[in-house]
Amino acid sequence: MGIGILAGAVVGAFAVLVIVFKMMWRVAEPNEALIISGSNHKNEGLGAGMGFRIVTGRGTLVLPGVQAVRKLSLDLNETQLSVECVTHQGIPLKVRGVVIFKVGDDFVSIANAARRFLDQQKLMSERVHIVFAGHLRAIVGGLTVEDMIRDREKLTGQARSACGTEMEKLGLIVDSLQIHEIEDPTGYIKNLAAPHAAAVQRDARIAQAEANRRATEAEQQAAARMSEATRDSEILQAGYQAERDQASARARQAGPLAEAASRQEVVVQETRVAELEGHRKEQQLQAEVRKPADAAAYETRTLAAAERDARISAAEAEAKETELASAAMATATRLTGEAEAAAQHAKGLAVAEATRAKGLAEAEAIKARAAALAENQEAVVAQQLAEKWPEIVSAGASAFGNVDQMVLLNGADGMADVFAKALTMGGTGLGLARQLLTTMSPAAQERLGTGVPPAPRAQAESIEITVGEGE
Amino acid sequence: MDESMDSPMVGLLGRVTGTVGPGLVGEVIVRIRGGAEHFLAHPASPKERIDVGTVVTVMEHLPPRTVYVTAAYDS
Repeated sequence: MGIGILAGAVVGAFAVLVIVFKMMWRVAEPNEALIISGSNHKNEGLGAGMGFRIVTGRGTLVLPGVQAVRKLSLDLNETQLSVECVTHQGIPLKVRGVVIFKVGDDFVSIANAARRFLDQQKLMSERVHIVFAGHLRAIVGGLTVEDMIRDREKLTGQARSACGTEMEKLGLIVDSLQIHEIEDPTGYIKNLAAPHAAAVQRDARIAQAEANRRATEAEQQAAARMSEATRDSEILQAGYQAERDQASARARQAGPLAEAASRQEVVVQETRVAELEGHRKEQQLQAEVRKPADAAAYETRTLAAAERDARISAAEAEAKETELASAAMATATRLTGEAEAAAQHAKGLAVAEATRAKGLAEAEAIKARAAALAENQEAVVAQQLAEKWPEIVSAGASAFGNVDQMVLLNGADGMADVFAKALTMGGTGLGLARQLLTTMSPAAQERLGTGVPPAPRAQAESIEITVGEGE
Repeated sequence: MDESMDSPMVGLLGRVTGTVGPGLVGEVIVRIRGGAEHFLAHPASPKERIDVGTVVTVMEHLPPRTVYVTAAYDS
């Protein structure tokens, strides 16, 4: 009995011990920190001037009633944000995002958080939301729309620089800031996308059109091939049909053809008969008509030929006769002409002889005269002058024709002088005459005076030249 | 904050996940407390600019979650 009581007491004491230990031993789970305040007989996890202990991830003994134990959750928290803000370019946006945060794992952060949130762990999200709404405005204000869409690094950098320190104060760390949704009332983002969308749409339409074209081409080619095949087959069929028709027609015509052939044979034979008949008739005509006609024709032809030969002979004889007569006449005429020509010839020769003799005589005279002239020019000239003298004097006297009075000095010499001068008025050609008058005897002087008309003057000039050369 | 109760960070290697540079608030991810956590990062030398993906060394840790880093390898 006593043993039983003792055993029961032992068991009871053990149970009490276990219960007490259970009450005193507290374990911090990985996602929480124990904040133990009260007696600080253990200074593990106790910073200077902190006033409470922080235990993470282990168990610790707690004196119930002496020390207070509180748990601070280190779990991840999130808060939704919905903020109307303005970007760096001044474009108004409505940004919806989420912030994921937790209490920092180091004791300083846990202490800070414990001092602020220990009784308000449920409200932590609200508090953070309030803090973060303002920060998000600042963050978005430092970014452009393109940065928000594309440059995550820049967004997180902005978030850290804007609110990292602020969160440190609260003992919180921001694990992640996500922007879920950007409402864009001005249509800025849509417009950013528009050129690319249009380009893509264009390419799609081009590709579609190209594909359609190719498909159509292929279809049309196929259709063409089909119709080609159909055509070929129809042509073949028609050919065969034609052959069949031909064969059947030929078969149908065979009877009539045979009939016709036999009829033709009959006609041929009949024709032959008719030909033979004709031949016979011809022979008969030859014998009865043609032979007599030929004989008559022969007779007539022979008679005509004989008559013609007689006529030809007569004409030939007549022609011969005429020919001989005309030949005789021609001979007579020729002889007469020849005699006349000989007479004319003789007459001409005589005349020519006479003419030649006369020419020779004249040439002789000229030659003699030229010899005489060479011999004595002056004499010849004087003679010629003498022949022309009356005309010379009359021409010279015509110079005095209009003179009323003339006084002569120097007697006969003066007279001669004036007269000589008057003679020279005819022209220079009378220089020789004057010379002759002055130098030669009066008889010789009388022969001068050829210079009245112009032509003899030229003659006189030539004479003067000859004289000059002679001198 | 006592180093005994929280892991020391100075000297740890990290990777840049948000460009670190003057006028920017960068971000590095560092292996710590058995996991990997990200911290706000500034360059240790004021003019330095460190692009995403570069391996960095933590030079300074200002609690709660700000570190000053410099490129780990001179490239």
